[in-house]
Amino acid sequence: MSERLWRILVDSFPKILLPGLKMTVPLTVIAFSLAMVIATVVALIQFAHVKVLTQIARFYIWVIRGTPLLVQLFVVYYGLPKVGVVMDAFPAAVLVFSINEGAYCAETMRGALESVPVGQIEAGYCAGLNFVQVMRRIVLPQALRTAFPPLSNSLISMVKDTSLAANITVTEMFMATQRVVARTYEPLALYLEVALIYLIFSTVLTWVQRMGEKKLSAYGVKEARHA
Amino acid sequence: MLEVRHLKKSFGGLTVLKDVSLRVNQGDVTAIIGPSGSGKTTFLRCLNLLEKADEGELVFDGQTYDLGHVSRRDIAAIRMRTGFVFQNFNLFSNKTALQNVTEGLIIARKMKKDEANAVAMQALGQVGLSDRAAYYPSQLSGGQQQRVAIARAMATKPDIVYFDEPTSALDPELIGEVLAVMRDLAASGMTMLVVTHEMRFARDVSNHVVFMEGGVIAEEGSSREFFANPREERTRAFLRSISEENR
Ligand SMILES: Nc1ncnc2c1ncn2[C@@H]1O[C@H](COP(=O)(O)OP(=O)(O)O)[C@@H](O)[C@H]1O
Ligand SMILES: [Mg+2]
Repeated sequence: MSERLWRILVDSFPKILLPGLKMTVPLTVIAFSLAMVIATVVALIQFAHVKVLTQIARFYIWVIRGTPLLVQLFVVYYGLPKVGVVMDAFPAAVLVFSINEGAYCAETMRGALESVPVGQIEAGYCAGLNFVQVMRRIVLPQALRTAFPPLSNSLISMVKDTSLAANITVTEMFMATQRVVARTYEPLALYLEVALIYLIFSTVLTWVQRMGEKKLSAYGVKEARHA
Repeated sequence: MLEVRHLKKSFGGLTVLKDVSLRVNQGDVTAIIGPSGSGKTTFLRCLNLLEKADEGELVFDGQTYDLGHVSRRDIAAIRMRTGFVFQNFNLFSNKTALQNVTEGLIIARKMKKDEANAVAMQALGQVGLSDRAAYYPSQLSGGQQQRVAIARAMATKPDIVYFDEPTSALDPELIGEVLAVMRDLAASGMTMLVVTHEMRFARDVSNHVVFMEGGVIAEEGSSREFFANPREERTRAFLRSISEENR
């Protein structure tokens, strides 16, 4: 490797990592947290068969899962100003990513809720618990445990998908890399460098996921539900 | 202490219970026997509102409930004073044996945690599982799980406990330990309504036997009478088929 290339890589490293820490990570953390709230609410609405709301929930999931994330970003950031809804790039990205991720995770959560045996819910009622108590004490703890691995996967995917936010001018890691490339004309080395940083982020999350799963398996449940 | 009058229930077009009436006295152990599909499970489920009956009356502890139109509050009140033991145990798999028993005490009945733990430990002791209190259901055998379920049902001091084929899901060698616990419970004076295929239990432990077939009570009587002199031909046919099965 030439000395020039080496210097470019070293110099650019903080220029790429910093936007990563300042934009990519907050975008992921905030949007995913909101997505979890949306997903839980939407999944519970369907699980409890709340009448009109269930229809709305299905419609929401249908639309979001049926359209590309990139198109959703463009509609919100470039389209909505035409009807007077103007947003900065970062909040627009948070909004779109949380709504998008919320739809996918809602399906994961609904599946997890439905995987809790009906008999345990009935046993809860027979013990005198009401609906909310049964949900909080019996159903949700088991559903969250079931949903943990797939939700972790969603989070890891999301870290990578935030690179799409570059398209609506959010200066996250990928856009920062593009800028350095434009100055130095070293696309191969620099794109590999940013790929490596994404890989490190994902690896850390995978590691956290493993620890979480180990902790959750303390229930003594032997069967592997996600084998 | 409990009386059901004219209970009717259908699923879609299928009538499962056609006008069932039954009286249970304090301390009675009533066995419900009958072929599969005759409506025994549905009957028990209607009694504590896991299934909503089409019509029927429930007289329970001096109150009369219209089973076709029960308020949410009445449902809660009925369940607070009954216990239910399922065929498949249905223990909460995210809770230990002890927590399975304390859940209804602490969460539903607002008992203090220390007191609930003491009550639950005593209940687990009665079913011979004091040493398994900290185990999760997945770490227990089927027989042990069902005994925890029985402890869970009786720890709340219900007025009556319903059992829906409590030994049918068990390996043969585990049936005895569960029946022994139920026998102790019966001897302690607990009022029990037990759907069962165990004819020895029905004959030796219960004092009253109900034979259900096709959604009606075809015959009932004191267990001695019932087994010594079954009046109905279909009862005799059923008893014959059961004894052949067990041979
Ligand atoms: N939830 C349900 N939906 C439709 N049919 C049911 C339902 N539960 C029970 N049945 C039907 O009701 C009849 C009686 O069932 P059940 O009460 O389980 O009988 P048993 O316990 O005596 O075997 C059966 O024909 C069964 O298929
Ligand atoms: Mg049955």
